[in-house]
Amino acid sequence: MKKRLSINMVLEWIGILLIFSVMAAIGNWVGFKYPFMESLIGMFILCIISLLGLIIEKLLPYDSIPAIIYISLIGLIVALPWCPLAEPIIYYTSKVDLISLTTILLAYAGVAMGKDLGSFKKVGIRGIIVTFAVILGTYFFSAVIAHYALIFTGMI
Amino acid sequence: MDYNEKIKKNILYDYRLHITILFVSIISLAIGTINIHIVGSFNLILLPLMYSLFLAILFYVYKPIKWINKDQSKNCARLMLILICPLIVKLAVASGENIDILFNVGPALLLKELGSIGTVLIGLPIAMFLGFKRESIGMTSSICREPQLAVLINKYGFDSVEVKGFFIVYLIGIVLGTLFISFLANILCYVVPLHPYSYALATGIGSTSMNVVALSSLTAMYPDLSSKLLAYSGISNLISVVFSIYVYMFISLPLTEKLYERLHGYFN
Repeated sequence: MKKRLSINMVLEWIGILLIFSVMAAIGNWVGFKYPFMESLIGMFILCIISLLGLIIEKLLPYDSIPAIIYISLIGLIVALPWCPLAEPIIYYTSKVDLISLTTILLAYAGVAMGKDLGSFKKVGIRGIIVTFAVILGTYFFSAVIAHYALIFTGMI
Repeated sequence: MDYNEKIKKNILYDYRLHITILFVSIISLAIGTINIHIVGSFNLILLPLMYSLFLAILFYVYKPIKWINKDQSKNCARLMLILICPLIVKLAVASGENIDILFNVGPALLLKELGSIGTVLIGLPIAMFLGFKRESIGMTSSICREPQLAVLINKYGFDSVEVKGFFIVYLIGIVLGTLFISFLANILCYVVPLHPYSYALATGIGSTSMNVVALSSLTAMYPDLSSKLLAYSGISNLISVVFSIYVYMFISLPLTEKLYERLHGYFN
């Protein structure tokens, strides 16, 4: 069963997102020389939308719809050309580099993987080969189909 | 409540973990992107996210510091779900900003979902060749992320070999998937030079972390197209989240079953 929304849960989300924002702003400054304050504002915008999506997921009764969908839709709508907030949102979020966010994310991911390394050793090389084939197959076939569909629709 | 109890309950108090992560990230970002010229026009690109992943795993395995343990590992796994959200917003904003092009790529977006058939066509023969039996159905019918798990459990039951196979790929996907796809995205662009937009659409493969990592590789290669690439990728990921489960249920999984029956004779 799905956990109901609680104040503690929301406070925890806010805390996590705040930590992430500060880290990302520092990372942006170190890695890409973006002004610290501007990327911090950019991060706050990204985090507020994330928070809204997470809260909406818990409030609405549709259990099978993941938060990612709400978050994507809100992010998309606020950046549409006819949205009055679009201009500042696009400006500040462009001061947050995708690579610095992924760098921090994968540092946490590395720690998270730590506990799975033991069971990972057991599956061996055959499992690794199949996994690579699966990822390659999905990525490459999707790209080929997309390529011809884009040519067909005259986009490229 | 003593400190250890506190951080078990709430990851926010675990400031030593966060400082360590910040330290790892800053080092990685300070080193920055490295281009290694290999041959002809091919440059192997090393990204800060690869170093940070690697360093964090080293920190966990070799424990040069004593405050990153199993509890932190569990907490971080939970944290990932929240941290991925701002990245999704970043892609979504790019999609909104470039909404005009995205209206025009509708067919490409939907057709691209059929790319998961490639998973079966490439994966299944290889898995069966390597001696996997029915677990290969779970392994190669999809990229093995959470949505497909639900379908498999529903169809075969949690203790079935198909689901066991699924977990093999699921687990390796978590550990090695991001690293693999960041190199793959880089190398494929040279080996099979499709349009960067096509590859950006393909990054929406149903795993959000692999999505952002592959996209990071692409943006490092084509910095001028960065905003467009983000836009294509963001919308593709959204479509993927919505439709992949139906493609899986009605196309990929039945196809895997059929193909398995066909190939079964050859590999026995």
